[in-house]
Amino acid sequence: MRNNEDAFSTLHPTVVFGHFVTVVGVSVVFLHPLILAVSFVGALAYVCYLKGWSGIRKMFPGVLAMMVFAALFNPIFNHRGMTILCYWYDNPITLESILYGLAASLMIGAVLLWFVSYNQVMTSDKFLCVFGRMIPALSLTFSMVLRFLPRYFVQAKHIAAAQRGIGRDVFSGSWYARARHGSAVFSIMLTWALENAVDTSDSMLARGYGLPGRTAYTDFRFRQRDLAAGVTLGGGLLVVIVAIVAGVLRANYFPIFDLNAASYLSWLVIAVWGLICATPLIMGLREEAVWRSLRLNL
Amino acid sequence: MNRRVILTWVLALVGIPAVIVCSVLFRFDRSYYFVSLVIIVLAMLPFFAAFEGRRPQAREIVIIATLTAIAVAGRAAFFMLPQFKPSAAIVIITGASLGRESGFIVGALTGFVSNFVFGHGPWTPWQMFAYGLLGFLAGVIFSKRLAKTSGLGGYKPLLILYGALGTFIIYGLLVDTASVMIWASSFTWSAAKLVYLSGVPFNLIHALASAVFLALLATLLTEKLARLKRRYGLFQP
Repeated sequence: MRNNEDAFSTLHPTVVFGHFVTVVGVSVVFLHPLILAVSFVGALAYVCYLKGWSGIRKMFPGVLAMMVFAALFNPIFNHRGMTILCYWYDNPITLESILYGLAASLMIGAVLLWFVSYNQVMTSDKFLCVFGRMIPALSLTFSMVLRFLPRYFVQAKHIAAAQRGIGRDVFSGSWYARARHGSAVFSIMLTWALENAVDTSDSMLARGYGLPGRTAYTDFRFRQRDLAAGVTLGGGLLVVIVAIVAGVLRANYFPIFDLNAASYLSWLVIAVWGLICATPLIMGLREEAVWRSLRLNL
Repeated sequence: MNRRVILTWVLALVGIPAVIVCSVLFRFDRSYYFVSLVIIVLAMLPFFAAFEGRRPQAREIVIIATLTAIAVAGRAAFFMLPQFKPSAAIVIITGASLGRESGFIVGALTGFVSNFVFGHGPWTPWQMFAYGLLGFLAGVIFSKRLAKTSGLGGYKPLLILYGALGTFIIYGLLVDTASVMIWASSFTWSAAKLVYLSGVPFNLIHALASAVFLALLATLLTEKLARLKRRYGLFQP
């Protein structure tokens, strides 16, 4: 078990990734106001839970600005729709395009917020676990890049310090001198990195890279609860997709805004969708509750 | 050709028209963003499959990872200057000296990995494809020519020109089109014009950065890569 992870993040990466693709995919493809509102609230609540109030305060203004932009962008540039409200520089502003703009802004907000939580939950090791078997060479390259980055920054500092020692300071002198010294550091860095690459690959060959029967290492195991979560989420997704294809939930914006009448069935589908979106939060809160009650019982 | 490569080509050649036809027939909402996303992803698959299917040598993998890491580090090191990044220049040099396939892979991976630093979003696939295409075309144009010389020969001005134009047109157009697809409900020319026009200053800075970094780094990097290729017999077409 990893430290500082919420309960949802400890699920098997394929389930986490599947959940992410589901919530983002459905939000992007089906612009139903209720689906989007639920997705947005679910994403916002989960980001709140992951990052706390201070984290929300830091990133939410940016998301909000993009949402406002999307809400304004559509009515100004999209003149489809029957209900003309007014004219702006000879262009009709329609009610439908305003509503569409609001939906689009909810969509963008939801997707961006899901990406915020995804950037925290789906770390690169989990990405490797999902794709390592499908695309082994690319995954290996990817993980190497991640390893090289911090190493290169450290090495670049060493090189720059050594160069400063012989009077080639990157941070002082004229612009031209600094650019020249910077290029020198880069050149040394590059030679070192490429030599290092050859050494690394020789070491890989010596350890049997590319021989048949070798597998990628991950320390994630697919447990019973991952199966349960995966099947539940998959079932929920199936319900939502079938409902949308069958027309239980329908939203048309053009030429005239039209939602189909609410039925018990459509509310049921929204509830299923809500459960999908809230799963990460519910799992986290449940775990905390269990933990607290266990401590109380001690 | 390996089976996986053929499969991805079939997927791309059948899938892309099929998605377009479906979107026209069923007209689901948001089809512009969704359709363009599917097209971008399907278009990238054959490149990735070709790289996987070739079962690249350990040395090639590590060198590709090295160049990608340098391009990503460049994007991260210049974080305080928006759009002024050496990444495109490094991707272009890679394509020119190691060939179009490596150019695409380094470009796409640069877009992908650097977004672990800068944040993933709906724009990630477009950035991957745009960087990948920059590297791929650099390979198409320059790699055969550079193979005859050791180093840049007389092609440096041409490379700088390609870098500036390519960054401005290919990268700028693709990423700005992505913005249109993300923001607008449908692709209207008036909306696209606004996005493209407001993107011009950013793309100009980016193109200038590519030209400057190519002028500074191209000779150096191509010579080192040419030596590496010759010495270890790598990336032979």
